[in-house]
Amino acid sequence: MAASGEPERPWSPEQLQSEELPKKDIIKFLQEHATDSFLTEHKLLGNIKNVAKTAKKEHLVTAYNKLFQSKVRARGRKLSDMKDLKVTDDKPKETKPEESVDEGPPKYTKSILKKGDKTNFPKKGDTVHCWYTGTLEDGTVFDSNIQTSSKKKKAAKPLSFKVGVGKVIRGWDEALLTMSKGEKAKLEIQPEWAYGKKGQPDAKIPPNAKLLFEVELVDIE
Amino acid sequence: MAAADLQVIIQKLRKLPEDYFQEEDTNAFVATCQKCLEEDQAALLLQIIQDEENQAIIRNSGWNLIGPVTSWFQKCPDDSHRKKLSLEMVNSLLQICNPKEVLLGILEHIDEAKGEDIPHVILFLLDPLQNVLLRLGHKKAYSLGVSLSTILAQLCFLPVPYTREQIKEDNHYLCQCCFALLQLTKPFVDVVAASEDCVKSSEVEELRKELVTFCYSFLKQPLLGAPLRIPPDSDDDDDDADDDDDDDTNPFYTFAKEIMSYLVLLGESLPNAFLKRVDVIQNLESKETPQEEEKYADESLACLSYLLFVHHIGIDDFPYVFGPSFVVKSNMEHIDVLLKRTEESVLTKGLELLESSLLRVENDSLHQDLFEIKAVLHVVLSLVKVMTLCPFENLRKTSLKMLQLLIDKFGAEGKYTLFRCVLKTSSHAGVEGYVIQNIKNQIDIALKGGTNNNCFVGPRLIPLLHIVLSLPDGAETDLLQTSDRIMASLNLLRYVFIRDKEVDNETGVWTELHRIEQDFLKPLHTGLNLSRAHYEAELRSTNEKKKGTHSKKPVCTVTAGGEMLPDMTPEMQLQVLQSALFTFDLMESVLARVEELVEAKLKSASEEKIGSSKDV
Repeated sequence: MAASGEPERPWSPEQLQSEELPKKDIIKFLQEHATDSFLTEHKLLGNIKNVAKTAKKEHLVTAYNKLFQSKVRARGRKLSDMKDLKVTDDKPKETKPEESVDEGPPKYTKSILKKGDKTNFPKKGDTVHCWYTGTLEDGTVFDSNIQTSSKKKKAAKPLSFKVGVGKVIRGWDEALLTMSKGEKAKLEIQPEWAYGKKGQPDAKIPPNAKLLFEVELVDIE
Repeated sequence: MAAADLQVIIQKLRKLPEDYFQEEDTNAFVATCQKCLEEDQAALLLQIIQDEENQAIIRNSGWNLIGPVTSWFQKCPDDSHRKKLSLEMVNSLLQICNPKEVLLGILEHIDEAKGEDIPHVILFLLDPLQNVLLRLGHKKAYSLGVSLSTILAQLCFLPVPYTREQIKEDNHYLCQCCFALLQLTKPFVDVVAASEDCVKSSEVEELRKELVTFCYSFLKQPLLGAPLRIPPDSDDDDDDADDDDDDDTNPFYTFAKEIMSYLVLLGESLPNAFLKRVDVIQNLESKETPQEEEKYADESLACLSYLLFVHHIGIDDFPYVFGPSFVVKSNMEHIDVLLKRTEESVLTKGLELLESSLLRVENDSLHQDLFEIKAVLHVVLSLVKVMTLCPFENLRKTSLKMLQLLIDKFGAEGKYTLFRCVLKTSSHAGVEGYVIQNIKNQIDIALKGGTNNNCFVGPRLIPLLHIVLSLPDGAETDLLQTSDRIMASLNLLRYVFIRDKEVDNETGVWTELHRIEQDFLKPLHTGLNLSRAHYEAELRSTNEKKKGTHSKKPVCTVTAGGEMLPDMTPEMQLQVLQSALFTFDLMESVLARVEELVEAKLKSASEEKIGSSKDV
């Protein structure tokens, strides 16, 4: 993303403060150069006229300065969409037991229960195989592929799916990319990266539910 | 008489060792037995079959008697005495004869049954069939497979009951047959399920394959065509109570649960089944060689998905980590399969699956990438097809509701694509008018701000606007045929002109004014004048006709459903013509208003400009 080069700062701090620079110009500049997530955060999305009505000058100046501090500029942002929300392409480092992506509070946290081989990490599009148990905050198990009752002998097979391509809830997609073969981890996923406002009625997941998973990554193909 | 003959043959055969039986003698034996039955001497025949001294004869040709005995029973299937005797005979034959031969006898008879006999034969022979299969020892997988497919093929001929009453009465015995069939299969499923832990022998694996194939076939037929949600009876209106009721009393619901539990017991992975079609299609697209796997009918997998997501049958064995958008994406393949069909029950299932998938995702959240999947386009086309051509009113309405739901769930970019897609493909003025109304709403939302929706303002809007504001054949467009669309377009234009002032020009409509006038407003004006003149002339001539003689023969006749419709009376013709003129009036008045707005705005804008320049 940084490859597109630093855009020139069109205005000096003095110019920014001056009355001569209309708010609309700053908004226009921001909308052209920042990512959607940045704009959402600063409430700068929408048509320029309306933003100008709601946003104060000092607010715009703060956003402008922040834009040059953080690397949140989009590649010639146009018609970008929600999928471009992700801010950096840097892989989260797996050394930390807890990690965050994006700004604001982390959307998921991971604590390692059993270390993996630390050499085999899945890449986007790889098929991963895992055992898991999902619980709600109150401890209700809503889903698991680990067979506890020996009476119901169903096919106990690890769940396999292509990782990192949006097949599973975002919390899983992101977390599994940080796990190595053999690793077992506890994931705590915020609703935004799970089933959100809606929940899933048929799986007993209520609206705005935080989900807890114990996931073991057994194999990568 | 036949009894005496039979004794003669038996005496002759008893003296011979089994290897020396002549074909003519055994044929005669079977034929005479049949005669005995025709003379209703069944008790005697039972005695003969059970007689120890006749064992060799029965062992040799007894299996040929399965057919005649069943036929005898069929003559009076409700006679319990007859049924008891027949069953005793069949069971005795089963004990004595070679199981493989008996199996052949049974299947032959099931296969040959026709019409109303089918359910009686199946219900009568299923128990013996199960006995025989269980006695087959190690090579039963193949025989089981053949038996199950033979029975399923015959079940296809039975009409499916739809209403609660029909299901209760089960006049054609479909429910009873299905129930019996599942009973028949149960012990074999248990065998497979029990051997799950140890290493599977090839025998069990074969059995598993046959049973899984059976389950998938059952999903397609009869389940896909059967009502899982029974329309409520007219006399009770309490919907909620009905839903609960369905689950308990609808036998098809029970069968569905049973089949899904069989699949799980057999070790079939429901998520893999759900994704199978998606994977196959992706493999086709990326030209990867697909894995060697069993191929099941698309309809079966679609039905499985329907049971999972709409009725939550088997959902406990389905992982809850798939993202909602991904579920929508995958289900589109299944929905596509269902909506391509024309049967009411299948279309209903397709629409229900679409609804339940879409309700999983939040509004404005579906990504436009979804349109890269062919199935999504097909689903949109099918929805339009159903809402315009389907003979069932409830399905037409639901289909329109689903189109709106789909629109709501897409993000701005997706909505944009969807609108273009429908406008380009639907060729139905009503649908197009509906979409144009939606476009108007989106423009309204965009102008109110607060969203990052830039598809419906400025340069992105223009091409869409030109699609909306066009007449397919210029001034010669059939205005009556396209009136829904034209009215919606005019309304949209009126709204934009009022809402978006020329100084702001957020929609860009004012920049395009010239083209809009050339392509739309002017031809529409001309078209209206032409049409009006034409219809007024028509009206006059009809009026004259009315005064004149009635004897003129009609130019053509119209038939609907094989019945000829009466000719239109001159009064009716006048009414039709008059209503056409009303439509033109309406169109003209909105058009006039739009033109007025254009003039007024341009004028006031120029005044404003003068005013504001003075201020400076």
